[in-house]
Amino acid sequence: MRNAIVGGLIVLVVALLVWSGMHNLRTRRAQEAKARDQQMTIAVDKKGATATTSAEGETIADLRGKPAAVFTLTSNTGKRVSLNDYNGKPVLLNFWATWCTPCKVEMPWFQDFQKKYAAQGLQVIGINEDDDAQSTEVKDQIKKTLERTGVDYTILMSDKAVGDAYGGLDVLPATFFIDRSGKIVAQAIGLASKDEAERNVQKITAGS
Amino acid sequence: MRRRVAQVLTGVVLAVAATRVWSGVPAMARAFTHAEGEGAAAAVQGGHVGFIAEGQSIAADKAATVNLHFRVDPGFHINSHTPKSDMLIPTRLVVAMVAGDPEVTAVDFPVGTPFAFAFEPKQKLDVYQGDVVLTAHVKAAAGQHSLKAELHYQACDQAACYPPKTLAIEQPFTAK
Repeated sequence: MRNAIVGGLIVLVVALLVWSGMHNLRTRRAQEAKARDQQMTIAVDKKGATATTSAEGETIADLRGKPAAVFTLTSNTGKRVSLNDYNGKPVLLNFWATWCTPCKVEMPWFQDFQKKYAAQGLQVIGINEDDDAQSTEVKDQIKKTLERTGVDYTILMSDKAVGDAYGGLDVLPATFFIDRSGKIVAQAIGLASKDEAERNVQKITAGS
Repeated sequence: MRRRVAQVLTGVVLAVAATRVWSGVPAMARAFTHAEGEGAAAAVQGGHVGFIAEGQSIAADKAATVNLHFRVDPGFHINSHTPKSDMLIPTRLVVAMVAGDPEVTAVDFPVGTPFAFAFEPKQKLDVYQGDVVLTAHVKAAAGQHSLKAELHYQACDQAACYPPKTLAIEQPFTAK
């Protein structure tokens, strides 16, 4: 009888420990999965968009289907340029900065698109988001970046308000594909593949 | 016999309870427990980088070091203090020199880790990931002190980068 009770207790102990261990493992896995989700910066939600959620869980505005916010900014060569200057043309609008390595990867692609889809009227516009862009140091870095990436499309200097108008950008690169009617057809927050970017260009240049 | 059964049952309940309580402690708090006895640990979090203020003790009136423990969020990196490109923003620490506070004579940065974006494998960067411990050289009189500083850094993940940030920190330490 005594042995049976002790044996039963041992079985109970082992069972409780196994249950506890399994429960802990399940909980830990669930927490890890949640953490992974929160760390995910780039998450494709539907075709045409690259990202919707930043690491802090902030939702990045989905501007697809909305009219592109009109702006007037100064170019790196001192010219005033408005989005309205490109009325009726498809526009690839790319926000970038010199400290953003992924931005510098895709800028040569956009240069290629500018040439490849010139007949369809494509206009590529880059908006530089560096702080203190008027300082000699940053101006030099911008110049160097444009030389290294081979970019000669229009580069405008941000007034910060333009970033707010495009969803309060806190992550770069950010690219908006605007069709001839001035509507945002696709957006990419973070680096997408060149193929995906080109598919979006084809969407806005279609019908030429 | 009954006493023995009760002892065994009590042991089981305590063991299971301890396991359950431990499993409920968040990972960050668990990491702090080794600092107990030297002062409470506190953490501040900036954009993708946190600072863990672990209590520390140093010898009074002698050259000593105080560790500054930062943690970069998993999946992210920040440039090291010597990124391999003049176009990237290096990590810097600006120490607040307040009258009456101990003098910080130097800060050592750890060596960075080589890193390349999957989409640009040829470009090797020098970054910090995970735990990053800077070493501040100080000399302090006996008593409680606090090292105040700002970490300037710029973070990226695998496909995007975030604007440069500043994280204000305060590291308490005791000189004995």
